[in-house]
Amino acid sequence: MKEPTDDEATGLPGLRTWRRVYTAVLAVFVAWVVLLAVLSAVYA
Amino acid sequence: MNTLDYLILLGSLLGIAGYGIWKTRSGSDLNTYLRGTGKTHWLTIGLSVMATQASAITFLSTPGQGYESGLGFVQNYFGAPLALIVVAAVFLPLFRRLKVYTAYEYLGHRFDSKTRLLGAGLFLVQRGLGAGITIYAPAIVLSTVMGWRLDATIVCAGLLVVVYTVCGGCDAVNVTQKYQIGLIFAGMVAAFAVLISSMPSGLTIPEALTLAGGFHKLQAVDFSLSLDRRYTIWSGVLGGMFLALSYFGTDQSQVQRYLSGTSLRESRLGLMFNAVFKIPMQFFILLLGVLIFVFYQFERPPVYFNQAAWSYQVKHGQGEKLRALEAEFSAAHADERRHLQAWIDARRSGDTSAATAASAAAEAALERAQSARERTGAVIRGADPRASANDSDYVFITFILDHLPHGLIGLLVTAFFAAALSSKAGELNALGSTTTVDVYRPFVRSGASDSHYVAASRWFTALWGLVAICFALFANLAENLIQAVNILGSIFYGVVLGLFLVAFFLKRVGGTAVFWSALAAQALVIGLYFTLSISYLWYNLIGCAACMGLSLMVQGALDLAGPGVSGKARQ
Repeated sequence: MKEPTDDEATGLPGLRTWRRVYTAVLAVFVAWVVLLAVLSAVYA
Repeated sequence: MNTLDYLILLGSLLGIAGYGIWKTRSGSDLNTYLRGTGKTHWLTIGLSVMATQASAITFLSTPGQGYESGLGFVQNYFGAPLALIVVAAVFLPLFRRLKVYTAYEYLGHRFDSKTRLLGAGLFLVQRGLGAGITIYAPAIVLSTVMGWRLDATIVCAGLLVVVYTVCGGCDAVNVTQKYQIGLIFAGMVAAFAVLISSMPSGLTIPEALTLAGGFHKLQAVDFSLSLDRRYTIWSGVLGGMFLALSYFGTDQSQVQRYLSGTSLRESRLGLMFNAVFKIPMQFFILLLGVLIFVFYQFERPPVYFNQAAWSYQVKHGQGEKLRALEAEFSAAHADERRHLQAWIDARRSGDTSAATAASAAAEAALERAQSARERTGAVIRGADPRASANDSDYVFITFILDHLPHGLIGLLVTAFFAAALSSKAGELNALGSTTTVDVYRPFVRSGASDSHYVAASRWFTALWGLVAICFALFANLAENLIQAVNILGSIFYGVVLGLFLVAFFLKRVGGTAVFWSALAAQALVIGLYFTLSISYLWYNLIGCAACMGLSLMVQGALDLAGPGVSGKARQ
């Protein structure tokens, strides 16, 4: 097992730091909530 | 189920059990048995984490939630992505740095052995009982399909899971889960495809959604500030985040999955995979239930989905009442179908007033049908108090058995069992590991050989399996299955999370302060559960906040009492 280091590369194109990965995941979450809120409003 | 279905079911079940035994045939040391080979890829970790959480209950009970209450339950998962980010950024690096077998070992490093024992004990109690509830889920399938008694089915299904789990190790669990979650996805897609193609002729997807919306089934997000409502965006984000943080960060059945990664990167990406896909997965399972609701507005469903219980009571003294209610239900459903057809015709012809009138008439007919259904449930439960309290758990399996072709029925029932075996293997393995590493090894017999602890872990796994079976025999008194699991988790998870957050962020608090504070916080949560009527998700927040707040106060009091007392208490 490798020694864990917080600055270990993510290996993801365009998301080279973990901070960026977390921000992207957060953005996906917000997008889902907005989509579901719109669905609720449209079919209320 | 015909011969083909049984062949698929039995072949797969025996294949999975055989694979687990084959994987562990050469024996393994303690490290491999509890943590795997440490070479797991991020996708395997991601699917394994998902498979451990998405057990047979998720597949069976959640569509029933969608059928009864619509999409609102999806809010329960709104906190998951946020929690997974915190686990990946804070919890995971610490666990890996200390190379712990269980999350509770960390509490021993940070505080003392009694706090480690408390954390492990709270996990063992809540997960041991939760394991019972999740054994109950596949038992529903078998009792419905075979016409067996539910309690006999629980014992048989539970014993099969125990045998497989005791034989399988952590690595076998991870590997098999990857294929089992694939089976689940295939089953979901197949059920979706059959459902869409079975909709009454001419009903388009937008029309089906409009119809579902008219019956208040598409209220996915509720901004209400009422604490009484079970699912709102606020309880979902806040309470759900604390529930998910506890589950993914401190529940050994999950910690064991992601600690098996090759590196920190693999473990983190596995968690982020779940952060991205958890909400859409739950949404589509709920939507499946909503579409089954729409389908059954045109195709008459049984008056009571638990047909085994209904048939039993018809034959044992309640036949007259139940037949009368069934006739009432059929008449109301026929009315509703007629009005819905009129509503569709009016919408298509642009006659708004006729559409509104037809919609109102359909809603009134649905209320009559639901009333007949509720009274049917009351008659069945009145005659047999042990009958399932929530008929919605039987909705999806009824749809599968009545409307899917043979072969596909076998595949879906196999998928249920694959999910059940998979998540149960992970849970029981974690229970056995925690009992061995956090209780047996430090407090009962230290310094024994690896093979002794591996054997002990197998015995403890079997013991917990038997405890789970006993608890499962009483699970049918609980509410909807998936809610029962979450309610149980919420009662204990908040305090366990509080222990870990104190360890991470309140450096001045010592073991004695956090130990007594956690006990007091747990007593408070249990007391509040029996006296308050609030969404259970809030108990995660309350338990965690109480544990952290009390820890600060107790540590403050110990500091005031003098450096001698405080210094001793910090150890």
